[in-house]
Amino acid sequence: MRPYFETMVPFGDALKKGTLKRTEKNLEAVQAAEADLTKAEDAVKSAGLPEEKINARGQMTVWQRLAYLVDDNTWTPLHTLYNPEDNPEGTTNVVDGIGRINGKWAVIIGFDNKVMAGAWLAGQSENILRVTNLAKRLNIPLVWLVNCSGAKLTEQEKFYANRRGAGTPFFRHAELEQQGVPVLAAIYGTNPAGGGYQSVSPTVLFAHEKCNMAVGGAGIVSGMAPQGEFTVEMAEDLVARAKEHRAKPPGSCATHHDATGFFRYVFTKEEEVLDGIKDYMKDMPAYAPKFFRVAEPKAPAFETEEVMRLLPMAPKKVYEFDQILARLVDGSEHLEYRPDYGPEIYTGLCKVDGYLVACIGNRQGYLGKGYPEYADYPGIGGKLYRQGLIKMNEFVTFCARDRVPVIWFQDTSGIDVGDIAEKAELLGLGQSLIYSIQDSDLPMMTAILRKGTAAAHYVMGGPQGNRNNAFTIGTSATEICVMHGETAAVATYARRLVKEKDAGQDLQPVVDKMNELAQKYVETSTPQYCAKTGMVDEVVSMKDLRQYMQAFAGSVYQNPKSICPQHHMILPRIIKDQETLRQKTAASAAKGAGS
Amino acid sequence: MSEDVFAPLSGKIVSIDIQPGAAVEEDDEILVIEAMKMETPVFAPCSGTVAKVQVKEGDSVEEDDLLAVIE
Repeated sequence: MRPYFETMVPFGDALKKGTLKRTEKNLEAVQAAEADLTKAEDAVKSAGLPEEKINARGQMTVWQRLAYLVDDNTWTPLHTLYNPEDNPEGTTNVVDGIGRINGKWAVIIGFDNKVMAGAWLAGQSENILRVTNLAKRLNIPLVWLVNCSGAKLTEQEKFYANRRGAGTPFFRHAELEQQGVPVLAAIYGTNPAGGGYQSVSPTVLFAHEKCNMAVGGAGIVSGMAPQGEFTVEMAEDLVARAKEHRAKPPGSCATHHDATGFFRYVFTKEEEVLDGIKDYMKDMPAYAPKFFRVAEPKAPAFETEEVMRLLPMAPKKVYEFDQILARLVDGSEHLEYRPDYGPEIYTGLCKVDGYLVACIGNRQGYLGKGYPEYADYPGIGGKLYRQGLIKMNEFVTFCARDRVPVIWFQDTSGIDVGDIAEKAELLGLGQSLIYSIQDSDLPMMTAILRKGTAAAHYVMGGPQGNRNNAFTIGTSATEICVMHGETAAVATYARRLVKEKDAGQDLQPVVDKMNELAQKYVETSTPQYCAKTGMVDEVVSMKDLRQYMQAFAGSVYQNPKSICPQHHMILPRIIKDQETLRQKTAASAAKGAGS
Repeated sequence: MSEDVFAPLSGKIVSIDIQPGAAVEEDDEILVIEAMKMETPVFAPCSGTVAKVQVKEGDSVEEDDLLAVIE
């Protein structure tokens, strides 16, 4: 299939002098927003004890362990700002992302040992479940850096129990193992109770000589049966027992390497534990890149950083999606699927690091006279109409057949509404797209470039498609909400306004409420709010969008469960034949016009 | 040589960044049309001097209406 993929159709334009001039303000706005984001991320990274204090104890921090473990320039962080329960620590206390270890992609997660020695906090199990889902979807190893002091006992009611509580990750580890996804664990520090199961539930355990893991830690073992209240005499006894158990905590390497053999390896130095993981990663199942690559990797023909100029921070400003995509894919080349149908949607095959990926995105701006064809009103990009929905259904279905992973780019204000749109079957076509996605069993990633709104946010590969969506990222222009806040205020209070007016009442109190609601929408749809609550898995710098696409493509093609031979793919042939037909039709039309 | 700038869509002129006599460079944003809750910028098709601005802020325009002339 070399003729199809080696050099595809070039697209995108170099920035003109005028473009550089008029995009300067947008660039400054993006840089300012991204600086705020970095500040928020730095606050999470510096949570808890300072690095020097951890190092003085002879330990590395989780960040130092990650830096040592992960191949240079491959760390692709996720969930950095995720803190859905608004913990005062500013974190769920796990750090995770995708990265390469010894050349192989893995999902990597570690407890932040600077914060309460890596305790369980509220929201953490949800974070871990996102991570186990990710390893399952990408079918790549999950690597743990365990250093978990167990539950933050003063807040256990927030996370200990429940269907998706702190015990659920252990079931997920079992599930991954049953599906052939290995879970490797480097184990450090004291890991009692929950920390014990965090340690023992992975597949292969690499222990530091000073670590321990146990069903119950020194704090529990040295406790006593409940007697209704505490007394000073009991406290004195407790002090004596605690001293004894702290000196020799249960579940040390002497127990779990020498006696039980649960620890497969024990290492003296912290780095050696990570070296052990690196050595194992070398042997994890993976295809050589050449097995799936359709061409040699190439940088885009235009700088990815230029996205910071071309993606407007202003939510209403129209821009060219194709120019953005041209700055993200190999060689700025593509094979576009049905360019003359469903103009509000781009669908096409592109390459990322030489791997074939399918890209789908919202085109912006006026869609031309007579579109949508079923209505007497004009169409505008960002909205979805009948043709766009049908085109996405077709494209996803062909991608499923050809086993091409999908990258979605959302900037959508919703699906066309009204009785005309209903007659055009848009409600059904939206759900058809959800059906097509679910039916595909394809791994997908989604970038919410700007707006993710209404049902269009669901149907265009949104994170609600748990089985398909590996991860969703946002940018500093991202805004996710069911509808615009002012629209919501009208929907909520219009009847009330009528009632008040009819009753001769002052409208100002209702107007105040409308403004309050609109403002609430603004505050709860910002990029940082989206990251904190998990609407996106990370907000990334626009210049890093391609890095996430590379991590996704590299991971997806590392060890896929299902393969379509390149020369059996049907989609590139359909695209080629459509283009040939289009050229013939255009030539014949030109001939007809000339005669 | 002069080049006419036409409205790419129907809508309302919400901002104008040029005036007669001003120099523009190709791809400068010269005005913005709002329609269907979105703002569509109109760019200078060539470098030159603005000979005529046919519209003012708040005007409603139809698709293909003349907006400006650049010489």
